[in-house]
Amino acid sequence: MAAELKKAIYPENATIGLPTQHRFDPYTLNGGTIVGVAGDNFAILAGDTRLSEGFMIHSRDTSKIYKLTEKTFLGTCGFQGDVLTLTRLLNARLTMYEFEHRKKMSSTAISQMLSTVLYYRRFFPYYTFNILAGIDTDGKGCIYSYDAVGNYEKHTYHASGTASSMLQPLLDNQVGYLNQEGVRRVPLTIDKARTLIKDVFISATERDMYTGDSLHIVTITSDGVTEDHFPLRRD
Amino acid sequence: MADGGQFSAAPFWQNGPSPGQFYNTPGTNLASSQLPRTYTQQPIVTGTSVLGVTFTGGVVIAADTLGSYGSLARFRDISRLLKVNEKVAIGASGDYADFQFIRDIINQKVLDGKCLNDNYCYSPVAIHTWLTRILYNRRTKINPLWNNIIVGGYDENEGSYLGYVDKLGVAYQAPTIATGYGSYIAQPLLRQSYESNNNNFTEEQALSAIERCMRVLLYRDGRSGNQYEVAIITKDGCQVTSPKPISTNWDIAEYVKYV
Amino acid sequence: MFMTRSEYDRGVNTFSPEGRLFQVEYAIEAIKLGSTAIGIKTSEGIVLAVERRITSPLTEPESMEKILKIDNHIGCAMSGLIADSRTLVDTARVESQSHWFTYNETMTVESVTHTVSKLTLQFGDDDAGAGAMSRPFGVALLFAGIDEKGPQLFHLDPSGTYFECEAKAIGSGSEGAQSQLHELYHQNMNMKEALITVLTILKQVMEEKIDSNNVEVMLIANVQRGNFLH
Repeated sequence: MAAELKKAIYPENATIGLPTQHRFDPYTLNGGTIVGVAGDNFAILAGDTRLSEGFMIHSRDTSKIYKLTEKTFLGTCGFQGDVLTLTRLLNARLTMYEFEHRKKMSSTAISQMLSTVLYYRRFFPYYTFNILAGIDTDGKGCIYSYDAVGNYEKHTYHASGTASSMLQPLLDNQVGYLNQEGVRRVPLTIDKARTLIKDVFISATERDMYTGDSLHIVTITSDGVTEDHFPLRRD
Repeated sequence: MADGGQFSAAPFWQNGPSPGQFYNTPGTNLASSQLPRTYTQQPIVTGTSVLGVTFTGGVVIAADTLGSYGSLARFRDISRLLKVNEKVAIGASGDYADFQFIRDIINQKVLDGKCLNDNYCYSPVAIHTWLTRILYNRRTKINPLWNNIIVGGYDENEGSYLGYVDKLGVAYQAPTIATGYGSYIAQPLLRQSYESNNNNFTEEQALSAIERCMRVLLYRDGRSGNQYEVAIITKDGCQVTSPKPISTNWDIAEYVKYV
Repeated sequence: MFMTRSEYDRGVNTFSPEGRLFQVEYAIEAIKLGSTAIGIKTSEGIVLAVERRITSPLTEPESMEKILKIDNHIGCAMSGLIADSRTLVDTARVESQSHWFTYNETMTVESVTHTVSKLTLQFGDDDAGAGAMSRPFGVALLFAGIDEKGPQLFHLDPSGTYFECEAKAIGSGSEGAQSQLHELYHQNMNMKEALITVLTILKQVMEEKIDSNNVEVMLIANVQRGNFLH
């Protein structure tokens, strides 16, 4: 039995005798959480501003929310080196598009472009998790969420990042009215959504050590954009 | 070859592959050819922490002058700070050879700029962003420059600037920054005194905070050296001071009893 | 002009002292040998029509295609060296698909024209890059389609110049046809009127008697995107 087990763990012809080597890891995880909520005529994108690595807090005021156009914002977390590169690349692509086609990119166009940009690095991915929020051509709020290699989906609400597994079920229940019986489904208002987002981040901060310091909330409507900062736990 | 002797021919087939068998060409050891191609896997001669603090009207960055070879204090008087121009200085921890490489590129860039004679000078953001691209691109080739770099600068328009970038391309700005061991030991001290001082330092306060942290690091970081350089960047320019020894007090050592 | 050949006729990218690129100008002249093509833009859509020159009763008229589909919302009529248009139409089709692939939206007619125009001056002698033409394209194109700005009609010539039109005629009968368009075109035209206008003009400029075989028509209607009638 022991011999079989040993064989399973160390199969013959395995690289026994070769030096075990420490390979350079080109990735690190810098933590943080982002949440997007879309309503009928608005979209809200929020993210904490902590930048951490292991047990270290690098910065307490590095926002994860990036402005792409007047009505499209990108929330992105994961490996911050890739975040910086990806957002710079997107900005360049956005500018090139504007020159080439003599118009601003729509939120839907950006959503597809982000997917292709991410997928082009399928075999050395940008280790980033993105939520795109904007107003579509019909004036309705929209949220798109992405995995690292470009799989994307349109949502009405979504959470990504280190506390996403805590926030997503909470949003499912409170925004999606999931797992509730006999509940009256009221259309989400901007105020309700903002209060909810603050609350879920306060809760996330209690349990996730990579989320905290302060909350950056961007509210997008067809009339314009408002940005707010809200303090969170700093420990 | 029974008769032997110098006149007889050498054996017809020796040291070659046995007929009908596979043959391994000498020098292409199977094990090493199976290994993937690798570049820098670890730093060799290293510098430890670099500290940076912003103050009203400027920035100060500091680093000791030790180059360690593992646990050996190999080079005791090498500079880990670089004055880029009158607005910018950088300091690097990590692999010293990689720092020298970066230093050479920057010096060449600055020299090329001087040849244009247009009075242009790279701003702190420009140097920081450029370094971030260099380090990120190298990590993407899996051939990193093994450094943590602090960029300090002062620009009349942009004010005090303090930025960080590491071998992976992670980069950010902050009012106080410490790399390496200092990120655990000095950064909390710097943050505490900075925040308790209403997020505002004078130059003197910044320098004394740095001195205190360098002393604590000398006591607690086994790879630290006993003298350090400081770069001060203000509207009046950028200057790197000559190495300053750290005063220490070991009186307490007598009272420590080892069982 | 054609009598006085000079050394500036030789290099395709050599300017004459007067600042002209003869080879490009000759390419524009080549269009005037092509069959007439007309496009009219209306608020409902666009009508494209091209004359088919049937030189022999033994040819199949259907095989002479001078109006091609670029995408579900864009069509293209041409005049000049039709073979030269292959590369251009290919590029237009690929770019239109690529735009949809990357941005999940249909490409505007102007953007399609713009990408194609970038190809037209990619010619030169030995030093031109691989894949470049040795001479200018001898074909002019009318890009017509419906995009977010509504019906659009663009004209592109061998010099790479392109502009938007309400009505445009190219090819051998273009001079007569264009002056007819000036008279007959008005902005309140509907598709039916535009079609009649196009055919009337074509009838006048064609040497042969017009019939269902020697004219090719494409209607790009506003009612429903991609509603193509041949």
